[in-house]
Amino acid sequence: MYDVWQNVLAEIEQQISAANFSTWFQDTSLISTDNNRIIIGVKNSFYVKQLRARYLDLISTALRNNNIKVENIDFEVQSIPKLKSRSREIVKSPKQITERIKTIKTRASSTENHNNGLNNKYTLDNFVIGSNNELAVAAAKSIIASPGTRYNPFFLYGGPGLGKTHLVQAIGNELIKNNPDYKIFYTPISHFYSDFIDAIQSGKGKDFNRKFQKLDCLIIDDFQFIVNKEKSQEEFFNIFNDLYQLNKQIIVTSDRLPSQIKTVDERLASRLTWAGAFDLQLPKFEDKCAILRAKAELMGVDIEPEAIEYIAENVNTNIRDLEGEFSTILLMSEVRGLTPLELIKNGSVNVSRASKLRPVSSKQAVEKVAKYYNLATKDLQSKSRVSNIKNARQVAMYILSKELNLSTNKIASEVGVKDHTTVMHGIKKIEKDLKLNFALRDQIEEIKEKIYG
Amino acid sequence: MKIKVTQEKLSKALNNISRIAVGKVTLPILNNVLIRVDNKKVSLITTNLDMAIIDFLPVSSSEDGVVTVPAKLLAEFVSNLPKGETIEISSKDTKVTITAGKYSSVINGTLADDFPELPEINEKNAIIYKMGIDEFKTSVNQVSIASSNDLSRPALTGVYFNTNKNTLAIAATDGYRLTEKKLIEKVESEVAAIVPSSSLQEVLRSINDEMEEIEISFNDDLVRFRLGEIEIISKLIDASFPDYQRLIPKDNNISVALNREELSRVTKLAALFARSVGGSIICETTTPDTFSVKSIANEFGENDSKLEAKVDKAGKVNLNSRFLLDALNALEETEINFSFSDHVAPILLTNKKSDKYTHIIMPLSS
Repeated sequence: MYDVWQNVLAEIEQQISAANFSTWFQDTSLISTDNNRIIIGVKNSFYVKQLRARYLDLISTALRNNNIKVENIDFEVQSIPKLKSRSREIVKSPKQITERIKTIKTRASSTENHNNGLNNKYTLDNFVIGSNNELAVAAAKSIIASPGTRYNPFFLYGGPGLGKTHLVQAIGNELIKNNPDYKIFYTPISHFYSDFIDAIQSGKGKDFNRKFQKLDCLIIDDFQFIVNKEKSQEEFFNIFNDLYQLNKQIIVTSDRLPSQIKTVDERLASRLTWAGAFDLQLPKFEDKCAILRAKAELMGVDIEPEAIEYIAENVNTNIRDLEGEFSTILLMSEVRGLTPLELIKNGSVNVSRASKLRPVSSKQAVEKVAKYYNLATKDLQSKSRVSNIKNARQVAMYILSKELNLSTNKIASEVGVKDHTTVMHGIKKIEKDLKLNFALRDQIEEIKEKIYG
Repeated sequence: MKIKVTQEKLSKALNNISRIAVGKVTLPILNNVLIRVDNKKVSLITTNLDMAIIDFLPVSSSEDGVVTVPAKLLAEFVSNLPKGETIEISSKDTKVTITAGKYSSVINGTLADDFPELPEINEKNAIIYKMGIDEFKTSVNQVSIASSNDLSRPALTGVYFNTNKNTLAIAATDGYRLTEKKLIEKVESEVAAIVPSSSLQEVLRSINDEMEEIEISFNDDLVRFRLGEIEIISKLIDASFPDYQRLIPKDNNISVALNREELSRVTKLAALFARSVGGSIICETTTPDTFSVKSIANEFGENDSKLEAKVDKAGKVNLNSRFLLDALNALEETEINFSFSDHVAPILLTNKKSDKYTHIIMPLSS
C-alpha cells in the first residue's frame, strides 16, 4: 500500500507547484483501500479541508491511474509524532501471548451479564499460576472438568488481595463457557445475609432458599463476614446441605479456615472442609515477576526486566498492592517521559512505602510488642524461658527483621538475647508458624497496626 | 473589492491577525492576509495550517470581492498612518490600492485561489461552552505555565480540556509539575481534548478590554474560540493525555498554611544560592511551628530563612525554586496551602480558600 501511495504522490507532484505539493502532501499516507473506500491520513483538520476542497479530483485520478478502484475518499487525522528514538528495550511478545491477550480483551469487552454475579473479566487465562497457588488452581481445573464430584465443597482461603475472588469467579466463568445452561450464582456473603434479612422483613423468609435450590453451582465469597450472623448461618447451612445432597458444586472463600472464624458452628465448619481446604499464599519473588510480566503484556506496555524485579522485590504485601504500584509507576513513566527503570534509579518513585509505612524506632517496636502481650519491656528482654515471654520475644525479632530491616546482630541486642543465631532461629520459627497458625497471623497484623497507627 | 474603515480599527485587527502569518517558506501565500467581502461582511483571515484567526471587521462601506496581501507589510503600513484617518482599500485583479488622505500605495497581492480553505466547526455535533473572558484568561495563564515544549511528547505541549464529574477543567503538565483549574461546574456535555498551547496563547493575545464572554466549541479534531469579533480555529493535538487525576496526591501527611508573598520572598532569597545546584532548595517543617527554606551553594555559602507557620509534623522536601516561584505567582490568595509527604510524593500547592486551582510539583531526589 505504501508503494502505491508513493506512485500516486509522484504523479500528483508533476501536476501542482512544488510549494503546494510539499505543503499539502508531505505528511500524507494511505491508510486503507478496503471496499474501494479510500482513507488518507493527514496531519490535521486544516489539511482535510484543503485536500477535499482543492485536490480531490487530482487524488482520485492519480489513484485510478495506479489501478485502485475509488468509490469515495475519506480523510483521517493521523498525527505522526516525530519521536526521538528512545533507547527502550522492546521485547517482542511471543505471538501466542498477544493472541491470548486479544482473546481476553475481546472476551472482557463483550460483557454479558446473566445476573449470576459473575464478572467475566476474571478468567483462568489471566490468572497467573505460580508456586503460591498451583494446588488451588489444579483443584479448580478439576472442578471445571467435573463439577460437584471430587472437590465438593471447594474451600479456598488466603489473605486479602491474593486472588481468591479472581479464581472462584474464573471457575464460574469457565463452567458457563462449557455449558451455557449451567445455573451459577456468585455472591459475597454480605449480600447473602442482607438479602436474607430483606426476605425475612418482607415475610418471605421461608421462600428464601428456593432460589438456591435450582442452582448447579453456588459460589460464596468472603465467608469470614458470617461472624455473629447466626440466623444467616443456619440458613446457609440448610442451603448447603440441600445442594450437597444433590451433588451440586459449592465453592466458598474466606480469609482463614472455618474453624478459626469465631461463632461458626462446628458442624458447618467441618462440612466446609470435607473435601480439603486450599490456600492461596503470598507469591514468591519469581511468582511476582511472572504476575507483573503478564500484566505488562496485558496492558501492552514495555517495561525493563530490572524494573519488574525491583517492584517485585519491594512490594511484600499482596498482589493487589503489587499491581497497584505497577500501574502507578507506569503512569509516572508516561507523564515524566522516562522509562520505569530510569524513574526508579533517580529515586522518583518509592515503592517500598506500601509495605514499610512510616519509620519507627526499634525501641518503640519492642515496647509495642511487649505491651501487646501484656508484658513489661524488660521481661521481654530478659532471659526468661517461659513460653509466652519467649513467644513474644520471637515475634519482636520477626517484626524488627521484617519491618525495620535490622541485622540479626542488632536485633539480638534489642531483645536481649545472646547472639544472632538465636535471632535467626526465632525468625524462622515465626515464619514457619505463620503458615499454619492464623491466630499468630492476626496477632502480627494487629501489632503492626499498633506500631504504625 | 473595496472597504472603508478607520485607521484604529484596521490597525488593531491587522496587528492581531498578522502574528501567525509568518515563517512558512514552503507556501508563501501563508504570509498573506485574506481580505474577503461577502454580502457586505468583511473578514480578515490568516492561517499557519495549525490554526487560523478570523477578524470580522466592522466597516463603514464595502463592495464584495476577495484578495490576499502580505500581512506584515499591510499591518506595518497601516499602523504608521496617522490616527483618525479613514482608510480605503480597493483591489483590481491582484493590485491592491490603499489610500488614506494624502497617503497612497499599491501593494502587489495574490489571487485568493491558492489561499487554503479553512476547516469549519460542525455546529450540529459541536460541544459548546461559554464563560467570562477574564476568568478564562486567568485560568489559561495559571495552567499553561506547566505545559511542555518538548515536541517529542506532543500530548504535553497542549492544555487538556476535560470533564470530570460534570466539571469542565483544564490541565497541563511537563512531567515535573502539573496544573489544573476547574472552569465550569455542572456542565452537561463531556469533552477530552488537547488544545495546543501556542493556539491558546494567540487566543489570549487577541483578548481586549471590550470583550466579556468567550465561546469555546469542540469537534472531533478541531476547536473554535469566539471572542468579540474574532474567531480562532485550531487543530487539536491527536494524542492521549495522561490520566492526571491519579497524580494529584491524596494522602500528603504534612501540610502547612503559609503567606504567599513571604514564601515567595524567601524562595527568591534561597534561589540565589541555589543557582549552582540547578535551583534546588530545601523546604523543611520542624516542630514546633517553623517552616524553613534553605539552600546551599558550596562556593558561595548558604541561606536559611524561617517562616512562622502551624506545623504538626516534621519533614523536608527538595524542590526546584523556579517551579515553586511559578506556582506562587499562579496562586492568588494571601494564604496558601503547601503540603508534602515524608515519602516520595508530589508537593501539592493550593489556595487556602478556593479549591479551583491545583498546582503540583515533583520533588527532587535529595
